[in-house]
Amino acid sequence: MKLLTHNMLTSKCLKGVNVGYPLGIVAKDVKVLETEFNSEFVSRIIPKLDWDTLWNAADSIGHAGDLPRAVCDDYENDVEFLKKVHHVLVEVEVIEGELVCPESGRKFSINKGIPNMLLNEDEL
Amino acid sequence: MQVVYVMVANAGLVTGLQQEQLLELTLPYGGVDSIIMLPGKSYCFLIFKDVLHASRAYVSIHGKIKLTPNDSGPLYLAYAERVPEFSHSWNYYQKPPGLILLEEFVTEDEEESLLNCIDWKTTDSHLGQTLKHRRVKHYGYEFRYDINSVDKDCPLSEIIPSECNFLLDRLKENNANVLSSFPTQLTVNHYQPGQGIPPHVDTHSAFEDPILSLSLGSSIVMEFRHQIGQMIPVLLPRRSLLIMSEEARYAWSHGITPRKTDVIPTQSGDLTIQQRGERTSFTFRCIRKGECTCVYHDQCDSYKKKNSISKVHIIDDVLAAQLESLHVHEVYEEIANHFSHTRHKPWPNVVSFVQSLPFGSLLVDVGCGNGKYFGKKTGIFEIGCDHSVGLADVCRDRGFEVFNCNCLSLPLKSEIAEGCLSIAVLHHLATKERRLRAVEEMVRILLPGGKALIYVWAKEQERYKTQSSYLKQDRKNRKKVCDSELKHGQQHSDASKSKDTTSNKASSQFPSLPIHTNRTQFQHQDLLVPWKLKVAGKAELDKTTEASHLESSQEVPTFYRYYHVFQEGELECLCSSVKGAKPIQSYYDQGNWCIVLEKI
Repeated sequence: MKLLTHNMLTSKCLKGVNVGYPLGIVAKDVKVLETEFNSEFVSRIIPKLDWDTLWNAADSIGHAGDLPRAVCDDYENDVEFLKKVHHVLVEVEVIEGELVCPESGRKFSINKGIPNMLLNEDEL
Repeated sequence: MQVVYVMVANAGLVTGLQQEQLLELTLPYGGVDSIIMLPGKSYCFLIFKDVLHASRAYVSIHGKIKLTPNDSGPLYLAYAERVPEFSHSWNYYQKPPGLILLEEFVTEDEEESLLNCIDWKTTDSHLGQTLKHRRVKHYGYEFRYDINSVDKDCPLSEIIPSECNFLLDRLKENNANVLSSFPTQLTVNHYQPGQGIPPHVDTHSAFEDPILSLSLGSSIVMEFRHQIGQMIPVLLPRRSLLIMSEEARYAWSHGITPRKTDVIPTQSGDLTIQQRGERTSFTFRCIRKGECTCVYHDQCDSYKKKNSISKVHIIDDVLAAQLESLHVHEVYEEIANHFSHTRHKPWPNVVSFVQSLPFGSLLVDVGCGNGKYFGKKTGIFEIGCDHSVGLADVCRDRGFEVFNCNCLSLPLKSEIAEGCLSIAVLHHLATKERRLRAVEEMVRILLPGGKALIYVWAKEQERYKTQSSYLKQDRKNRKKVCDSELKHGQQHSDASKSKDTTSNKASSQFPSLPIHTNRTQFQHQDLLVPWKLKVAGKAELDKTTEASHLESSQEVPTFYRYYHVFQEGELECLCSSVKGAKPIQSYYDQGNWCIVLEKI
């Protein structure tokens, strides 16, 4: 699971959960996979992100590095910044671990890089 | 004098023979009593009054004359001792029970005034439609061909013309007091020679008994068919009134074959050909209040609705979830690898949709399977989700982001995606409410201006006379084969022999779901479709949605997947209930109904 994906995930679909975001991450195995960098792509993605969630998620799995805590104004032209974002967004992957609902504590396992968010009948 | 039977070879229904062609050839010899055409045969029988006429025809035709110039060989005749039981032979006196014909019901003047009172050039264009076979106009209530019934809540502004007011009195004069009150619906059909109407039973729940039909302008032959195979042609003379009551109204279908001539009996009982003229029929019906309570259950939509015979009415959400669990989720888990092997050719229109997304987009594929539509465009971020752990694994192995979830509750934030796909997913949901919920979830995660593309399996597998590639695959099932109702345990005793029940027995829990025969037309909307699992071996490169041409064998586990196939217009109708999105394109693509929705 990449952190870009994590940024989009929520447990709001659970019965009784109001916000369900952001999901906590408990990582047992993290891998780094180098992928091709495209500055324009990263620039386009940044506005979609909840930045705090991204930073906290990266930090919780020990991969925040020197990623700034806030997005700078002129980020489209800051290639170094964009590269750091790229790394954290798509190069870091949680292979084994858990996602945790912040309200209910419900855990969703991550196996082989795939989060399992299938709900039981009573949770819908 | 004894009748003489003559068999005619090289001329039969299978060769495309029309009765009229053969009669045109043989009538000049005289004495043709009857002609017997047999379904599926390339020969037929003539019955001659006597041996004199029969031998004249025999001597001139046998081995000498071709029926049409393009035929490869001539007709061969042979005398026969008897003819088959099953026949379409003309019997002038035979009529379906409940059929009454009142000849010269109106005068020539009345006929003219009735024909003149119909304004075909009406300003309300949808009320005076031109259908492919004939012109139609409705009064009182509109008959809706899409639902095969009447919208009882929507009366038309055009009421039945006053020229028809003589009807009840005229019936009394003819001692046919079949109507207690004046009809509430009139359908006027205008047939040019060569036009007809397919065989049908008037919808039981829409109209009462009887139904009256006045023939003006020309006579015609109407064919009545009963389920058990009998066909009775009935000559409707000009200005006659046909009364279809009881069994004739409820259990026999009636239709007019589109052709320019009819075969009719003459005074002396033998056959002749009559040219058709322009015929206008006035069909009077009484709209039924409530449901039909007749005894002819096989043709009764009210009875079938009440007893859930041809449809599965799953109202219960819990039951729907169980059905999907057993006949969708579990099956895909079992067949994941085999399924994935057969799913590597993406549909071009879906690929175009993906490629139309702007650079920097987020694409979510709900029900992504093995990730068939990923990797088609650089510069977009793709997230797939699927219920199947097995298929998601394959997707992941191919290098794509994926997670598991149920499409009815997407664990995704709202308004995140420019593009969303739902390819061959909705048809696995067992109720309309669940299908609607799935679409609503997709719309929820779209950004304003974002687009969703939905593909579902169509009930209509043949479109514009072209068969879908699903049907074309067929080798053994060339003819349309009806689905078989599941008989408890019978058909699937083979499957249950496999030791570890990997093949789920088709539905001891859902016995009323019909089982589809692969690569044939769909007969129902809710059904189970078999999947024969191919175990380790070379993968079949199937282009469409069914795999495996294995001979049916006890070794092959068979799984049954639940589908709700969509009728034309149904997907559009479903999506029209979704707030916050509008359809921008809808089309038919290789056996699928497709729609593109845009978030407002």
